[in-house]
Amino acid sequence: MAATVVRKQRTLGSARVREAFVGYAFIAVPMAIFLTFFIYPLVYSAYISRYDWGVFGKIEALGWENYRTLVNDEIFWRAIKNTLLYTAVVVPLEMALALTLAVIVNAGIRGKGFFRSAFYFPSLASSAAITAIAIYILSADGLLNALIGGERSWFGDSDTALWSIAGLNAWTTSGTLMLFYLAALQAIPTDVYEAAAIDGAKTWRTFWRITFPLLKPGHFFVAVVSMIGALQLFDQSFIVSKGSGGPNYSTLSAVLYLYRTAIADVQFGYAAAIGIALFALIFTLTLIQRLLFGKAETA
Amino acid sequence: MAIGVAPLPGADRSIPARTPAERARRVLTYAILLAIAALFFVPFLWTISTSLKTLPETTGFDLLPDSPSLRAYREVLTEFDFLRYAANSFFLAGVITLANLVLCSVGGYAFARLRFPGREVLFMLVLATLMIPDQLRLVPVFLLLSGWGLVGGFTGYMLIKLVLASNLFFMRQYFLTIPKDFEEAAKLDNAGHFKTFWKVMLPLTGPALAAITILTFQGIWNEFFWPLILLGFGDPSKYTVQLGIAQFSFQYQTLWPQLMAASVIAILPIVVIFVVFQRYFVAGVVASGVKG
Repeated sequence: MAATVVRKQRTLGSARVREAFVGYAFIAVPMAIFLTFFIYPLVYSAYISRYDWGVFGKIEALGWENYRTLVNDEIFWRAIKNTLLYTAVVVPLEMALALTLAVIVNAGIRGKGFFRSAFYFPSLASSAAITAIAIYILSADGLLNALIGGERSWFGDSDTALWSIAGLNAWTTSGTLMLFYLAALQAIPTDVYEAAAIDGAKTWRTFWRITFPLLKPGHFFVAVVSMIGALQLFDQSFIVSKGSGGPNYSTLSAVLYLYRTAIADVQFGYAAAIGIALFALIFTLTLIQRLLFGKAETA
Repeated sequence: MAIGVAPLPGADRSIPARTPAERARRVLTYAILLAIAALFFVPFLWTISTSLKTLPETTGFDLLPDSPSLRAYREVLTEFDFLRYAANSFFLAGVITLANLVLCSVGGYAFARLRFPGREVLFMLVLATLMIPDQLRLVPVFLLLSGWGLVGGFTGYMLIKLVLASNLFFMRQYFLTIPKDFEEAAKLDNAGHFKTFWKVMLPLTGPALAAITILTFQGIWNEFFWPLILLGFGDPSKYTVQLGIAQFSFQYQTLWPQLMAASVIAILPIVVIFVVFQRYFVAGVVASGVKG
């Protein structure tokens, strides 16, 4: 009797060990990848940022010198300014557009699926293809100028280049954000609207008084996704300016400056410092956003 | 599907009698809707139209080409090497999608269902990687891979994309929604962990696997940033379609029919996937976006 109990426990124990062993085996490759290409680079980039680091590796230990240089680097601040201005314009634009589209699609219209697909369509295309198309349509003798009778090269003029990118990205991103708003809209309980209907509230009023405030978690989520995307602006800037950030630094985004410093100028130490500064910036802005929207709403 | 769907008041179809004013408003609504939809489509129609024109014809603004020809496509695919770029993109997106399907379903199952010490801590680590932005990783990952001689070839790029944390998270969440009864039955049959996973659990994750397939393939096919860094200089025969487009636009910007043909080639595969698997697309985008 006693012997059987002991044996049973032993098999139970070994079953648990086997389960743990299988568990580790199942996650081994993913964890190895994450440690090598995500966690380790965090530490490694802090290390690199304290050196003058060229094509052939470390040249000289600099301490905090790279960060001091960064503070006084006018082009870096120009890139930050561009990125922040761009973000401040494109995030509200994308949110307004996405919400409008979501409300339209959700409003019990016929052909809902068609309109949803139509609005989502630009989100499918790659940034490179869509930017090539924009370069064509916004060129001096392109379709847009033909329609409005202008002759401006929208990406070639430092007054309009960044805002043309903002318009382009608002158009392509709103479809994805619309899907998030749609999910949030459909989470609002119907009885809220029934109560409003009994009160005889008008559509417009119902939207601003009921739907809009109830969408707060949706607003927060969409704002975060949109802002993080905007702060990482790169592809479109790179392609319209042939990698230069021109004309006259007008499309130089923070990430493009980082790319140029690392890959074109081969200053890895300085570039690592830029990367860390950008990470700090994005992190801080996300935190501020979280505080603004209230912590309870983010769950 | 209809549960929780909240039609806005005023759009309620159950009210039978409509005044002429209401009818007029409806017509106006649909007119505006179609106009917006057209606005979303026109640039693509214009792209297709231009890709079928000859260069001299692009100075005019007719939507329909005089004599549509596939010449631009032929040139782009052969002379400008886009056939190779497309093959490269297909290869990379295919291999990476496959790797993600295998590794993320196995890993997601372990995180959701197997008990082992340190599981929660390790899972927090996976979530933390979602918050590490690419620009912070640019320099260290580039140096790491170039130290191993993996810059300029496919291996380095495939390695950093082998498992995407968002996919792993998505699969884990999906496994958590499957009732425990299924495994209990398998346990009674004395099936091992691998057999339970393979025969019982995996067949239940069809929609999740479909969503991962579509979104990963699209993500890799469309990606610009990492291919540019890891494949973008050196041997052009390693370019992806997206790099090819950037390169072409830098060099021959005003060869509009060819540039537009290349853009169509870059967009078309994803559109085909979208049309065929639309259901999974929308569900996948929303689910993968709602990370918590």
